[in-house]
Amino acid sequence: MIARAALIWVAAGVLAIVLVPWYALEDGLGSGSWLAGLWSSDEAASGLAQAVGHGKWWLAPTFAALASCLVVSLAPLAPGRRGTWLVVASACGLVLFAAQAFAVSLHGWTAGWMTSWFGELDGRQFGIGAGGTLVLIAFLSLLSIGLALRGAFGGDAFVAGAMTAVTSSILLFTAWPILHILAQAFQDQDGALRPLLVVERLAEPKIWSLRCLAGGGGCGVAWNTLFLALCCGVGSTALGLAFALIVTRTSFRFKKILRVLTVLPIITPPFVIGLALILVFGRSGLVNQFLDWGFGVVATRWIYGFPGVLLAQLFAFTPVAFLVLIGVVEGVSPTLEEASQTLRASPWATFVTVSLPLMIPGLANAFLVGFIESIADFGNPIVLGGDFGVLSTEIYFAVVGAQLDYGRAAALALLLLALALGAFFLQRRVVGGRSYATISGKGDAGLPTPLPRAGRRIAQWVALPWAAFTILLYGFTFVGGLVKVWGRDYTPTLNHYIKAFAIERAPQGVIWSGAAWNSFWTTVELAAIAAPLTAALGLIAAWLLVRQRFAGRGALEFVTMLSFAVPGTVIGVAYVFAFNVPPLEITGWALIIVLCFVFRNMAVGLRAGMAAMSQIDRSLDEASATLRGRAPQTLFYVVMPLLRPAVVGALVYGFVRAVTTVSAVVFLVTAEYDLATTYIILRVINGDYGLAIAYSCALIVLMLAAILLIQFLVGDRRLGRRAP
Amino acid sequence: MSVQFTDVVKRYGATAAVSGISFTVESGTLVTLLGPSGCGKTTTLRMIAGLELPSAGRIEIAGRDVTRLSATQRDVSMVFQSYALFPHMSVLENVAYGLRRSAIAREEATRRAREGLATVGLAGYDERQPSQLSGGQQQRVAVARALVLKPSVLLFDEPLSNLDARLRRQMREEIRDLQCRLALTVVYVTHDQQEAMAVSDRIIVMNAGRIEQQGTPRELYEKPATPYLAHFMGESNPARGDVRRLDGSRVRVRLGSAEIEIPDATAAEGPAMVAVRPEAITVEAAPGPAGALPGTIAKANYLGTHMEYSIDTEAGTLFATCPRVDRPLAAADKVALVLAPRGVIVVRE
Repeated sequence: MIARAALIWVAAGVLAIVLVPWYALEDGLGSGSWLAGLWSSDEAASGLAQAVGHGKWWLAPTFAALASCLVVSLAPLAPGRRGTWLVVASACGLVLFAAQAFAVSLHGWTAGWMTSWFGELDGRQFGIGAGGTLVLIAFLSLLSIGLALRGAFGGDAFVAGAMTAVTSSILLFTAWPILHILAQAFQDQDGALRPLLVVERLAEPKIWSLRCLAGGGGCGVAWNTLFLALCCGVGSTALGLAFALIVTRTSFRFKKILRVLTVLPIITPPFVIGLALILVFGRSGLVNQFLDWGFGVVATRWIYGFPGVLLAQLFAFTPVAFLVLIGVVEGVSPTLEEASQTLRASPWATFVTVSLPLMIPGLANAFLVGFIESIADFGNPIVLGGDFGVLSTEIYFAVVGAQLDYGRAAALALLLLALALGAFFLQRRVVGGRSYATISGKGDAGLPTPLPRAGRRIAQWVALPWAAFTILLYGFTFVGGLVKVWGRDYTPTLNHYIKAFAIERAPQGVIWSGAAWNSFWTTVELAAIAAPLTAALGLIAAWLLVRQRFAGRGALEFVTMLSFAVPGTVIGVAYVFAFNVPPLEITGWALIIVLCFVFRNMAVGLRAGMAAMSQIDRSLDEASATLRGRAPQTLFYVVMPLLRPAVVGALVYGFVRAVTTVSAVVFLVTAEYDLATTYIILRVINGDYGLAIAYSCALIVLMLAAILLIQFLVGDRRLGRRAP
Repeated sequence: MSVQFTDVVKRYGATAAVSGISFTVESGTLVTLLGPSGCGKTTTLRMIAGLELPSAGRIEIAGRDVTRLSATQRDVSMVFQSYALFPHMSVLENVAYGLRRSAIAREEATRRAREGLATVGLAGYDERQPSQLSGGQQQRVAVARALVLKPSVLLFDEPLSNLDARLRRQMREEIRDLQCRLALTVVYVTHDQQEAMAVSDRIIVMNAGRIEQQGTPRELYEKPATPYLAHFMGESNPARGDVRRLDGSRVRVRLGSAEIEIPDATAAEGPAMVAVRPEAITVEAAPGPAGALPGTIAKANYLGTHMEYSIDTEAGTLFATCPRVDRPLAAADKVALVLAPRGVIVVRE
């Protein structure tokens, strides 16, 4: 049966070569106009026609590899032997495919040494299109089938295929762009390799200057970024811990509200907090107006710069730290604390010597999240930064600004990546294999020890005002969209909403005349496409990592973890660079934005899936296997129904992150495919706060609706527990 | 022959969980893999199921080489230690799961699933959720789910370990009953020697990834080949003795000053390891009859149904059980031990 699948894939590959345009077409396949030029047209010709009729002889070896796959599929061979030859043939095909794709570009050979070896090439090629993609997929499938025939992955072609799909897509859309940006940093404007250039680019005083310490002017962006990230990491961890302790270890009455507060930032675009801070502390903000009116104090601009950015980031990322820490605080076994108390330790001594050390891995995790979120944050620094530049804004200006210096952007992105990965590895070194997760299958009969009085006081004095202020900020945001001009004219109005979301009835039908509709619908559409893909990829990867045993499992897990640590800004720049030229020329398409969403956010689906899956007894999978359930059937009938909460989580997260993300997509949007967040950012930069706030509120409502809809569609997990 | 293992090895990295075992399971019999935890018995069972593939060797099921086939492709089903009932499906859906996956139409699958439930005495429980059943009922659902596929081999992985003692006895009788009634071929894994003896036609005792000995329960109890086996199959006292051959089928064994004649066709003459069953020792007041082994009570425990004694003798400290609870002996009493021939075994070292 597996052998027949091989034949089908070979047939698909052959059809793709003969009947589908090999290269990408300007206007896509939708119009069908390519059918006429399938043989004759230089652009729309199929692979075979390109190789025979249009002088693209370098495609021929790839086709030959496919032909050899056909021979292997038909030859009378034992399964193991057929598998080996299929692996060899399809791997050759993949190598040949990649070799020609990278060797020949828009202007003939891509590298000088090829010209000197093979002579001038009379020919060029564009980005890979439908035909090429199908052949690539066929080769990957044949490789999986070959591996399965050889007995890898338990002889299951589905597992092998899922494995190949996940690995190759991560390599293509995460590893390759990042490697590409590494290379870019070492090249000059003409693409020539100059290793020392990166030193030159990074040695600027603008990056490393320490003038601020001496009292004259601003520091370099690298120091700014690092200092901001350290403050944000420490601050959000401390605040998150205070919240977590209040919720789990005190009899505080409004715990539910604190829980709700943690959801808000997740469905809020990250810069909305920055906007709200401007409404309160900005030059025409409430505080300054009050001071001016009451005491005649002249408005200052202190909020624009380090304090404002830090404040905004703390508000935005504390809830994330709280989410990380609440699990950790709950995970500390009460029995251990009770043991400590029976050993004559006071509540305070117990907290300091037992509870807190047990939480260290969690604290390190929360710090890492705060640190990486901070250095990757683009929205808040661009809204509130003023003269205070950080790496992410600096990269943005290098790409879109007057400098237009891609090499510099790449070098800065490299620096940013190094910071993120440095923190990531440092954290792994510090925490290492130490995990004090004390939740076990055995029941833990102890009661959580209440926080000692002093600790409770501190936690409440820190956390509660903070929570109140967060609520206030969101309130102002909401109100801000309903007044004429904040700071000057507080007349209630719906004008901002009308300007953004007006719908007019005209004789020829409904006209979406609001300024925001274009970007709004693009955002909804792309996020709706990306969310299921994100969830599917993340959960399948999780299933592979948790449930399947194969060589290279550790490496795959590490790569996916790594993609979690790469800042969005770096991903965005890397995508622009890597997918701007053949063989993968997708810049300017909606596809690149969707891909960016998917591979940026799949790590969360993966984490959620892995956590949920390791709670499901493995023997359920095995029972299904011994009951004739093949791997895909086990996945769909047994694993997925039990994973519903994780499925919901991954879908929601995939959608919400796609809608709220700024840093990665700010480089990828075009006039045709503008997104809500980038549109809002531009409005803010232009000083049009009313519209920006109105739009942000609409986004928050949209995401709440989406969350409810997804929850409704996927439904609850049916476990048939006894009713209490 | 239903299952045949030939020189099967399973390695995890450098360590071998199973190092070269061969055995056969005749169809229509119940064979138990018995051994302490970590002896490789579960790995062996999982290799029959196809949940693990062997590193080397050959596995045949019903005459077909299945060595490299996955679990799905084998004609085998399994009852798991945790039962592994799908918590999101009703009892009927659980039992019909394997039938549906074998592309059997819904009505037919439902009919056969109901039949299966009736076989295990759970007719009418169709719509219950697994969590609404008791442990024993869950166990029966798991059995029904495996049975309805009519596999060539049915596997049980410590099926009784989650049940309490009373239910365990009842369930093992039910399993044995079912196996005899339907003439099933069953491979059964347990670490409980009594359970193994109660259900099995044959027992394969494993230790450290190897087969220690295989045979009927009686053979294993009465003729354990090694001191390990003598101790594992019921309790036994290891003691040093001296063997003298009397004729082709009998030997005389000397333990300290005691001498005893036992039937044995294979033991070599000279010093040997001797296993003495605790229930084969009769404790009498000193001096006792001729040929008895003198000793001193070191410890005495009252267990209701019998007495347990630890007795210091010339052949070492022996552990004995004594059904006479009406006249208990106390520590430091001098006694004479009379050894019954059926409980004295010369074992290979």
